[in-house]
Amino acid sequence: MMEYESVKDELLSVADTGLKFAAKQDGSAEFEVYVHYGSVSLVELDQGVVTAKDGVVAGCAVRVAKGKRLGSASASGVTATRVKQAVKESLSVVNSVSAEDDKFGGFCDPKKAGRECRLNKDILGLEVDELIRHCQDMTKEARDVDSRVKVVTASCRILWDGYAVANSRGIEQASRSGSNRCRVDVMSIEGDERKTGLRHDAACDRLIRTEGLGEQAAKEAVGQHNGKKLGLTSVLPTLWGPEAAGAYILSSFGQAALGRAVVEHTSPLCDMMGAAIASHEFTLVDDGQRPDGLGTESIDAEGHPQKRNPIVENGVLKGFLFNTYYGRLFGVGSTGNCSRGGGPFGTPIPYESTVGVSGKALEVSPGSKTPDELVSSIDGKAILITDDPMGIFHSTMSTGQFSVVANRVYLIESGSTSYPLQPVSVAGNYYDGFKKLRGVGNDATLGYYRVRSPSLLFDGFTVVG
Amino acid sequence: MIEVLQKAVQYGEKLGAQFVEARYDDLTLRTLERTDDTWKNIQVKSRMGIGVTCYVEGVSGYSFTASPTVKDVRAAAQKAYKMAKASAPAAELRLPLTKGPSSKSTQSDTLRVKIHPSERDLAYKVDLVNRTIEAAREHGANIKNVLGLYGELHGKKIFTNSEGSSIDWNYLVTDMRCFVISKTESGALVVGLEGNGGTYGLEYFESKGNTPEDVGGEAGSRAKEQLKAQPCPAGNFRALIDERLAGVLAHESFGHLSEADFVVTGASPLTDKIGNRLGTPEASILDSGVPDIRKTGGLWVPFDDQGVRGSTTTVLGNGVLLHYLHNRGTAERLSETPTGNSRAVSYIFPPIVRMTNTYFVPGNLSEEEALEKLNTGVYAIQSSGGQVEGNGSFLFIAVRGYWVEHGEIKYPLREVALSGNILELLTRVEGATRDLHIQAGYFGGCGKGDQSPLPVGLGGPKIVIGNVTFGGKA
Repeated sequence: MMEYESVKDELLSVADTGLKFAAKQDGSAEFEVYVHYGSVSLVELDQGVVTAKDGVVAGCAVRVAKGKRLGSASASGVTATRVKQAVKESLSVVNSVSAEDDKFGGFCDPKKAGRECRLNKDILGLEVDELIRHCQDMTKEARDVDSRVKVVTASCRILWDGYAVANSRGIEQASRSGSNRCRVDVMSIEGDERKTGLRHDAACDRLIRTEGLGEQAAKEAVGQHNGKKLGLTSVLPTLWGPEAAGAYILSSFGQAALGRAVVEHTSPLCDMMGAAIASHEFTLVDDGQRPDGLGTESIDAEGHPQKRNPIVENGVLKGFLFNTYYGRLFGVGSTGNCSRGGGPFGTPIPYESTVGVSGKALEVSPGSKTPDELVSSIDGKAILITDDPMGIFHSTMSTGQFSVVANRVYLIESGSTSYPLQPVSVAGNYYDGFKKLRGVGNDATLGYYRVRSPSLLFDGFTVVG
Repeated sequence: MIEVLQKAVQYGEKLGAQFVEARYDDLTLRTLERTDDTWKNIQVKSRMGIGVTCYVEGVSGYSFTASPTVKDVRAAAQKAYKMAKASAPAAELRLPLTKGPSSKSTQSDTLRVKIHPSERDLAYKVDLVNRTIEAAREHGANIKNVLGLYGELHGKKIFTNSEGSSIDWNYLVTDMRCFVISKTESGALVVGLEGNGGTYGLEYFESKGNTPEDVGGEAGSRAKEQLKAQPCPAGNFRALIDERLAGVLAHESFGHLSEADFVVTGASPLTDKIGNRLGTPEASILDSGVPDIRKTGGLWVPFDDQGVRGSTTTVLGNGVLLHYLHNRGTAERLSETPTGNSRAVSYIFPPIVRMTNTYFVPGNLSEEEALEKLNTGVYAIQSSGGQVEGNGSFLFIAVRGYWVEHGEIKYPLREVALSGNILELLTRVEGATRDLHIQAGYFGGCGKGDQSPLPVGLGGPKIVIGNVTFGGKA
């Protein structure tokens, strides 16, 4: 068992052992050894059924390059035996094929590490009993709102982990972080009609705040009953609340700005550096160094320092996100965005994921208008979308075409929000949408998928309902 | 290894657990990925570890370790017990397990294949991907990017529990895919994709329709066809959906609602509806861990991760809800037969109620008859994913489609989004074709409970549906 205080030293020692062993196996090859150790405690209270889990996710991954030939291997466990097994497996890959990556220019070069997140150490001391109590509190709050609240699921989790990277170019770095998270899902049932609400909280620099979450989620669910049918197919303005807007950002620029898509020309942004791609009100950064950021680490998954990277400034495309491989190919170097299954959908088993590129913490700069001012700026009919719509993560980044179903939606009419609607289908093109962005709210909020976005008001999407 | 697991069970029982399960995975995963002329990834993973579940007063606690030593496995059992014990007072709904007879596996529980992937070297698999990409280039046009993938997962799964069960079988999944992106004259990007996987030996990739040339050629051709495709009109239309989209519908929209962990809590709209008519007589949905893979394809799951033998469950029979999908606790709670649907993506996760191979049952139409029955509407093909809400509302993305008038295909459509509510949609199923195909694989899978990706099979025949909402251009 490793402890948070010593995890970096212990992992660095394992990585060093692996690297020295690798060098003995084949002095002509270049190696990178990645070692991960993470502790997870999770409690879920699902309508009275308790599920609890506590364990350690530990494993290692090795990349090897012999000239332009590349191989990689991973193994669960962080013992010297398992790291050595991964070294041998990676060598057997590279020695048994002639397939080359002629674009490979070597692993990451050493640089001064950035900073880790500002972890509140009280998080590490949270006990199972406290997590259960939080779940019970959120559940009770929700049930107290209305008798139609029939199904409540509350969960809390504590995570802390560390990883070390060592490579043949002299990198020997480690980082660690931790967080606590909670979530409550509510279903309100009236006859055959089922409406849902969701609230969540996550932080690394403070303990989770569960108070009010159950109540808010329940009110959201109950408030959607007896929604009216929109009854038309038309092009309408759509106001995406922070949660919905975060999902929109993640599915569009959040993917199109990634180095692999840019270099391989699958991104529509690949030839547009310096061009106006959005309304001048729109600014997007990826901040891997925000002190209270859930994606903040001192190094990325290949040992490069994480950074704060502008993507769009006042509507103009300013930058992409790269790891060393794609950064070299694009001629700009890494932006500290190497990941192993990272990003908002990050895997709990990073050592099994291949090295890629992901955003660390996307943030849209808040605008000057309140959500109410955005609503009142609309003439005629419009749609307010408050959830992350179904299908938003199944659209194709390359084409930008999307068609989603928004379940928690309200009609905006003559400058004010009127009544809840039955689910509506919303379709259009992400990138056209940014050009028709007509308002950015001042209500920036950290969403469930770790994008911090305010409300966004778009023109030009087809709504069917 | 079974002895180490048995020690974990004994230790958990000694601590006070009423029931203990212990399982061991020793799996090898291999991924090959080539983009255009560059080998992006040639990787092998060793996933070895142990998971222990302790039950205290109908509440489960789970822990796991990558270290198979007796000391670490005992520590995992202790953690699992501690979690269950601490959680027990908070439980309002308990799912206790009653001890029953033990289960034993035999050699025949592991599906035999002609060429196991461990019998071929890496160069053989590299060649499969190379041939796929070359075929895609040959059949495509205006190509911007070609991606070729090969994946395999195989190895041992061992299980025991407080009943003295002794289960030992070998898991196998292989898969090959191709994605092509082409650029239209106006600069828009379009896609074509093809591929399939399941519990197959490598001989599968030498069979008609599944060779690298077939897979790559189809992906290239479809991307080429998409260069001239039109956007789907928005609105409500009659629909014909292909086997792969039918499978996604069966899995995502109906299958998840039939999972009994959602039923015991009342979250599923199928709660208390056994025996109710939910669809037309043409709508039947099965889940099976042991399909006839040589005939239909799919994934072989002879035991779930609670040691329950895989079986075929008729969830929806001729439109009537007949059975839920269970783990042992939910089956006992609802007095139904266990169905072998308790699965975990790896030893890091506790088993939860998951599907195996979920598919619509074939009907009696030919493809031509299905198009005639469709008359005028959208023929939606393949799927790049979908999502369902707890109330049964769904959205699926079909990769491509055709606009059909009076039973005749008129022109190709670009990405097509279908939405609606599954319980309404089942009442509009008008007919199905005679063919049945189950798609499974290494790439993608089910993501329930953050346990992603779990290999699952999904499929069906082509299905005619009376009215579906399509998102698109006004």
